[in-house]
Amino acid sequence: MSREALRIAVVGLGKMGLLHACILNTMPNVQLAAACEKSLVTRKLFKKILSSVPLVGDVREFSGLDLDAVYITTPISSHFSVAKTVLQERLARHLFIEKPLTSNYHESKELCELVANNGGVNMVGYLRRFMVTFMKAKELLSQSAIGEPASFAINAFSSDFYDMREYAEVAASRGGVLKDLGSYAIDAALWFFGSIQVNSAKIESLTGAGSEDAVQFTLQRESDNLQGAVSVSWCIKGYRMPEVVLSIKGTKGILDVNDDKVSLKLNNGDESIWYRHNLNDNVKFWLGGPEYYREDAYFVKSVTNNSLAEPSFETASKVDLLIEMIQRKAERHD
Amino acid sequence: MTDSNEKLLLVGDNPFHNISHLSQERARSKTEDPGDPKYAASLIEMAVEHGANGFTFSVSENTLSILKELNTQGTIERLHLYPIVPYAFEYVRLATQLGGIPALAQKFGIEMVKSKNLGAIGLGLRGALTVNPASLMKTYLAYEISRIKSSVNKNVHVDSMLLHQLITDIALALNLDWLFKSYVDFVSSKKIIPGFNTGNFAFLVDKFAEWNIDLRKVIIAAPFNKVGFQMSPSVEECEKALSVIPEPVVIAISILAAGYIRPEEAAEYIAGLPNIRGIAVGVSKEKHAKETFSLFKSALDVDYITSV
Repeated sequence: MSREALRIAVVGLGKMGLLHACILNTMPNVQLAAACEKSLVTRKLFKKILSSVPLVGDVREFSGLDLDAVYITTPISSHFSVAKTVLQERLARHLFIEKPLTSNYHESKELCELVANNGGVNMVGYLRRFMVTFMKAKELLSQSAIGEPASFAINAFSSDFYDMREYAEVAASRGGVLKDLGSYAIDAALWFFGSIQVNSAKIESLTGAGSEDAVQFTLQRESDNLQGAVSVSWCIKGYRMPEVVLSIKGTKGILDVNDDKVSLKLNNGDESIWYRHNLNDNVKFWLGGPEYYREDAYFVKSVTNNSLAEPSFETASKVDLLIEMIQRKAERHD
Repeated sequence: MTDSNEKLLLVGDNPFHNISHLSQERARSKTEDPGDPKYAASLIEMAVEHGANGFTFSVSENTLSILKELNTQGTIERLHLYPIVPYAFEYVRLATQLGGIPALAQKFGIEMVKSKNLGAIGLGLRGALTVNPASLMKTYLAYEISRIKSSVNKNVHVDSMLLHQLITDIALALNLDWLFKSYVDFVSSKKIIPGFNTGNFAFLVDKFAEWNIDLRKVIIAAPFNKVGFQMSPSVEECEKALSVIPEPVVIAISILAAGYIRPEEAAEYIAGLPNIRGIAVGVSKEKHAKETFSLFKSALDVDYITSV
């Protein structure tokens, strides 16, 4: 890069947009160069708060701002149209999109084709790839710490809609639990085990007719018989924060990982546990959790070096494909 | 008001919200219900009998019920109160469920009107009409102060009001010096010490120096523990920043690293640090309340610290 600081804009000033904007603003090699927010009320408020940052209501108004990269943190349904506009109007070369990539595989595939012609860095915010516990578990699996994996189980739970029957509309606006929380579980399965296919699936509606609130499905690795069971729900009591738990049984032992710790239990009786603070979890600026800073720093570094960032759009589009496969295979229980 | 030489031993409220920062799994597995206001109040009373002299809590319906219990028991007048505002987790959860910031603002406005706090309503209307963030913040603070006061008797004084870690750190990241200054001025005008809870202690100390915010007139709550749990960017940087502040204005939090460190080790580490005004630690069982606060009362004795 020729200039000193990357000029980055954020689209969508909800929870995730604000979080990324804040973290980026603390990085010495980044300038928060603009923000876009559709809601007039929120925009008026942030115009007073971020007085030195150009704040617009339509992403096309980024034209002429000489941006290097754009973060898209809008509702899932608009990821595709915003990203397409940024790329087609050449508003910035590099894109970060909060997970999942888009609303459906067709849109994701089209975006992958667009970025292939564009040449910039592209990345999707699957946060658990930047959690030290999951990073350690992946390292242990790669080192064959549990031998050959024989089976796995993933639970992704939250209490976001626990005991909330009248909230079907809000739940639907978040794209259903598979897009919201399930995408983390599917990305983890792809990241840890490679190409997988769906064997069976069941969808339950708990917040209202037709809603997608709890999903159970089974997966199988394409290269061998490794099988896994996944359970996803945002209607479980006791999950103050969303949590993903991955358990892998191998020929030499069991590896368990969640957001807080990794544990390795070997068949010979040896046992090791690593908590976050055993895994060099501190970052330069703490907001929301250290993984957010790590994720943004990685994207910024990839843009600076013009190197491949993972999970790329191509990688993340596989999550969207699997979500559609699960939905097609599923028995529905309303 | 707090005697500035008196060490603060604050009971933290995380266990009353079923929070364990080390493990969500562990928080879910607890058999008692420390969130029950009567049980929580009895734990605080037990802690006070063994050395605790204050309570720090996020302002929520649950913690206000605990305050009411403490008020009924009479324990409240023996406590320094350090409320944390806003209860960010609850507001984030509500925004998620209601569908965003505008829906949350609407709900909050209705709650404000229901509270019949005319001063806060007036400030809020002015803030909303002019979209003035400072006015909106003052409205919110006035509303929270009135909620606390209505839960206790008139002899009870709030020592300090701590801005929640999430808001403090967002404001730090965005260089919102006006927000910090406005917060300090408004809270001070209510005869309450302005406080800030942060996960970025060293960063905050640098910024306050840059913005000429007098560190002697505020309270800062930040993680301090020997394993570096939640101490960004590092133990060394946080300890260095602690050594350069002019007065003991820091309340150490996360001192047990969410249960990873034994209380004896934590007490030894904290007692060896300069400029510590006190500690906050959560307890979920009577045995813990008794043992933990007896230990810290002994370890944080002023003479003991001088001799270290």
